[in-house]
Order: sequence, then structure tokens, then C-alpha cells
Amino acid sequence: MTDYVDAGAAIPLTQLSAVKGSAPATANVDYERILDARSEPQNWLTYYGTYDGQRYSELNQVTKDNVKRLSPAWVFQAGATGMQSGASTYSFEASPLVVDGVMYISGPDGKCWALDAKTGEELWRYKYASPYDVSLCCGNVNRGVAVGHGKVYMATLNAHLIALDATTGEKVFDRTIGDVRAGESRTVAPLIVKDMVVVGSSGGEFGSRGCLDAFDAETGERRWRRYMVPKPGEPGAETWPADGDAWQRGGGNCWITPTYDPELELLYQGTGNPAPDFDGAVREGDNLYTDSIVAVDVNTGEIRWHYQCTPHDLWDYDSTMENLLFDAPDGRKLLAHADKNGYFFVLDRTDGELVRVFPFADRITWGEITSDGKVTPKVYPDEEGVPVHFWPGPAGAKEWTHMAYSRQTGLIYVPVQEVGATATRRRREFKESIPYWGAGVAVDLEDFYGYVAAIDPISGEEKWRWRNEYPMCASTLVTAGGLVFQGTPTGDFVALDAETGEKLWQFQCGSGHHSSPSTYSVDGRQYLAVPTGWGGWIEGFLPGLLGAAAGDALFVFALPED
Amino acid sequence: MTTFSGEPSAELADGLARQNSTGLGRLLGTGGVGHADEGPDGTMTATIRIPEDELCWEPATLILPHGGNLELTLINDDKNTHCAVLPNNGDPKIIWLVNHAKGTASLELAGPGTYYYSSTTGNDEGRGLVGAIVISGEVPDEAKLDRPPQPRP
Repeated sequence: MTDYVDAGAAIPLTQLSAVKGSAPATANVDYERILDARSEPQNWLTYYGTYDGQRYSELNQVTKDNVKRLSPAWVFQAGATGMQSGASTYSFEASPLVVDGVMYISGPDGKCWALDAKTGEELWRYKYASPYDVSLCCGNVNRGVAVGHGKVYMATLNAHLIALDATTGEKVFDRTIGDVRAGESRTVAPLIVKDMVVVGSSGGEFGSRGCLDAFDAETGERRWRRYMVPKPGEPGAETWPADGDAWQRGGGNCWITPTYDPELELLYQGTGNPAPDFDGAVREGDNLYTDSIVAVDVNTGEIRWHYQCTPHDLWDYDSTMENLLFDAPDGRKLLAHADKNGYFFVLDRTDGELVRVFPFADRITWGEITSDGKVTPKVYPDEEGVPVHFWPGPAGAKEWTHMAYSRQTGLIYVPVQEVGATATRRRREFKESIPYWGAGVAVDLEDFYGYVAAIDPISGEEKWRWRNEYPMCASTLVTAGGLVFQGTPTGDFVALDAETGEKLWQFQCGSGHHSSPSTYSVDGRQYLAVPTGWGGWIEGFLPGLLGAAAGDALFVFALPED
Repeated sequence: MTTFSGEPSAELADGLARQNSTGLGRLLGTGGVGHADEGPDGTMTATIRIPEDELCWEPATLILPHGGNLELTLINDDKNTHCAVLPNNGDPKIIWLVNHAKGTASLELAGPGTYYYSSTTGNDEGRGLVGAIVISGEVPDEAKLDRPPQPRP
């Protein structure tokens, strides 16, 4: 046999593509610019659009009158090569960020792109090599990136924080920030505050000890860490068994981006379920700070106040979803939170005082919360091997997907899931990286529906609802054009009249929605961007559509240019 | 009723680990296991090859002691053309391997964890040309949770 043919050296896969390799340099995004993000509605600078989590845009080119002409401007296909973790559970969950005509977005499995926001051209691509065998409760997902200080920040499934050069996509730093062998992961969109990047943990179904971290935005060095389950002797430890190790695997993860009040310098972080999810007998007590709204001092990581939505949770009712900041007509600084447990909380965000609590879901059987906040559990899995049915199911009446607040109507538009479940307690020993639920859980395959509820957070009144055959499993977006945008599990992207709930437009995207759309403009033309792709923890929020088509396309809509 | 043989090695020898025998292709992950060598600077090196008509990588499983840089040599001893798309932080790397070819790949991977790679032409992946790089070890101490050591499976 002759000598081997010289195959040379392996080359980056992107080299064999039309990817341009660099993005135009944009004006720097720093803390001051994000603070004033509402003044530049042509951009979507941070995860929720603004620090307050309102998901409201002042753009008004697309209106109730012309929305029927809304059409696809371009489509971006994420795609995949080879084997990836959670091959059947990947989902395109991100919220696209846009800075001066450049879109930055993450996808499943460690992917991040810079795209031309006007044309969809792929400017650069970064693919983090994500291990195939990471512990994932809820699919191969990532909810987005942060952009600032000339960088793009992304968290990874194996608990790394990656910083990329915003113009080239080249790695600036890569920090290991969690223990993948302990079942930890990171799926959250980072948040830039001052000169820090704030990142919360995932891993509540594996008995990790939840935490919120702040890192130096330039170096990735950790500035502070706030555990959401206290050690013995720390405040809140009295809500855990005095002896034993329950606190060590107590959960309370922070897998959704916090909101932030720059005047109070407080981050508002929702925390996840206690672990094990359904077996409360091994963790007697209220289990602080799980299932809570926690106000964290952004400078020190200290907890200033907390409000627990579901003490001693036995139903997997995370409170991780957003805490939307708004001001009452009298100027009182408030916070709104629609919890998995089916109740809508309005708090004074200066001190955590309960202003109002009321149900926003139709069917709530797990227990009751009175108007003064008293919680009474009624139905829960407390006897080994005995099935117990309850509403809402463990994905909640509202999961992580976000509501939106219109500064025109004063209403909050909530995506609601009406799905129940049966849990049967099955005690198990804790072992690192193995699911630690303490029950067998089957979410209902029938008798479900959903709606967008328009809620007045001051009065608690539901002004209208747009009912759908299937639960609402994607974030709402509201604009100054008087429109509420909502994706459905069956692939429709719809526009509703923000005042009446009337459906004015829809487009079938071919796969279900489980993401957070955003809006922006380039050269005076307004665009709406929505990642699509049915996946994630479908067996939790809508197993009745486990057989629906998967996908991972980003659709961008605009009015015709003529 | 399922008859359980309890003899995986015999089943493998009898056909699971061969082309067009029990199944159509070779069962994934049925090749040998190898370890990368580590140099003084921590860089790791290893060689993998495609034997003739076996449509697998040998070793099929390559174990690394820790995350970092891997210098991989790839040899195609088969009489057909294949390729390799390899995991790498930043972008996967691809190398085309015509019949009787030899090349290299410089990879950067974080540990611990398992990464699969394959030949992405035709259905090489389904016929058996899927290999694994398994990185052992622990995350740095500063990345671990503040809690006592916990039981593992």
C-alpha cells in the first residue's frame, strides 16, 4: 500500500458556509444605555427589553389597522449537525436582542448567532461544544444572551459562562460557574447590571442548591453568590429541618432572568421549587427561599426582603417567572408576579408588602390563598403510592414564559395554561445527577385549554380573555401599536387588540411557540421577531401535544415595504 | 416474552458489532476503548482510525483525563471515503477523509462530559461511524456548590 493521502488539518465547519464572519461594530452598550433602553425602541437591548420586565415597545408602525398586512420579512433556520443532548427535547426559547441593526440570539445546544436584523444574513456563529450527557430536566434549551461592554454573554448547559466578542463572535472568556456532576446547568439569559453579569442556576429537579451569581463583565471573576437555601445558622435556616441534610439539596434555583429597579438597586429574582419536588416529608418547614420573590441587593448579593408564594411546596410550583415592575397611579412602586400556583401577586417592591393577591386561573384545587395572603394547602401527595390529582399541574397556570404590561392600557397580558396533573409520592434516596422528584407524575392528556388574560393589576379585574383550544406556552409582547402578540402551541403567531382581545392577524409558523418574541426597527421599518420550535418540558406543560412537529426557526415579520 | 442472553460480548461477536449481520449496520458504541496521552503542558494526543469495511472508529470511545486541548490524528484505513465532524468549542471541525488518508484535528473541549462525533456523509452515522470522546474528572473547586460531599450513583 502507498503512503496515506494527506488529509491536512480539520477546519471550522463554518468555513464551509456563507457565514460572513463579522458583524458591524455597534455603539457600545453599557449600563447607562440599558438604563435608558426605553428611549431607543428601535433596539431590544436586554432580555425583557427594559430592566422592568414590561416587554412593552413604543414602536407603533404596526397598528390594529394595518396588522393584517404583516408578512414574513425573513426566516432563519437554526438547524443541527450530529448528535446533541436532549435530541428530542430541544426548543428555540430565546428572546432576540437587537442593537443598531444587529440581532444577537442563542439557540439550543450552545449555539449563538449575530444576524443582520434587516435581512437575516448570518454574520457570525459560535457553537459551544455542549456535552451529550448533561442532566436536563426540561430539554436542551437556552433563553437568550446579554449584550454589552463589547461582548455577548451566554450561559451553557454544562454551567459555563461564555463571553464573546460582539463583532467577531470570538471567545473572550469561558468560566466554569457550576458543577455539572451535581446536576447543575445554566439555561437563563444573563443580565448586565453596572459592570457585572448576573446569572442564575438551573438544576432544581436534581437536588442542587440554587444560587444567583454576579460576575465581573470584563474578566468573568465572580463578585458575589447568593444561595437561595440557607445553611444552618443563616437567616431562613429555621424553615428547614434542624438536623439532617435537606438544605444541601434544597433547590430554589434561579433559572429565569431577574428584573431590576435601578433606584432601589434591587434585583427581583424568582426562585424555583424545593427538592425533592413532591416529597415534603423529608424537608419539613416552609423551605425558604424556595418558591419566592427575592429582592437582592445588586451590589452585595444580600437579600433585602422576600415573599414566599408557596410555602412548603408539594406541587413543583416554582416562582421563577418574571417579577414585572410598574408604578401605581399614585406613584407607589409595585411588582406583579403571576405564579405557577394560579395566583397573581402584587407587591410593594420597596419592602415586599403584599398589596393584592387573586387567582388568575380557572381551576385551582391544590389549595387556597386568601386576599390577605394566607396559604391553605388542600390536595397534595402525602401518602406513599397514592395518586393525587390537582390543578394547576406542575408546569403551572403560567410557566416561565412571560407576561407583558402595556403603558397605554395599564393592563398586564398573561399567557395562561389550564392543565392538571396526578402525582403519586414515591420516596427515593438522593444521588447527585439523578432526578430527585419524590413522585411519579403524569400530566393530563385531556381536559386542557388556555387563554391570554388581560388583567388590571390595580383592581385585579380580568378585562378580557382570548381563549384558545390549547394552553398558552409562550411569552406575550405588547406594543404602542395597540397590539398584543402571542404564539400558540400549534404554531400560530397571533396579534390581538390590546383593548378588546379581538384577534386581528395570525400566521402559521409550522411548529409550536415556546419563546419570547421581541420587536425592533431598522431604517424606519418595524420588525417582529419570534423564535419557534415546539420542545422543552412538553410532558409537563402540554403532553397532549408531545407528538407535534418540532422545529427551530426564527421568523421575522414586517409590513410590506411598498 | 423477552429472552435475556446476559452475554453481551457473545452477542457482539456474533453480529451486533459487525456490518450487515444481526442488524444492517454496526451497533453504536461497540468498538474498543482508548485513552489519550497527556504531555507535560497538559495537551492531550490520540489516534483514531476507520478499519476496512467495519464502519466504526477505533477506539470507538476515547477517554480524556480532563478538559482542554486534544491533538487528534485520524486515519482512514477503509476503501471508501468518509469524514469526521468533531466537537470543538467555538465551532465543530470537519475533515474530509478519502480512502487511505490521514489527517489531524486540534480540538478544545470542556470537561467533564461526553461528546459524540461522526462521519456526516450518507448514513455513516447510522451504520456505526459514531465515536465518543469522554472527559473524566471534576469541575474546579470554585465552581462546586457550598455543601458537604453528596452521594453519587
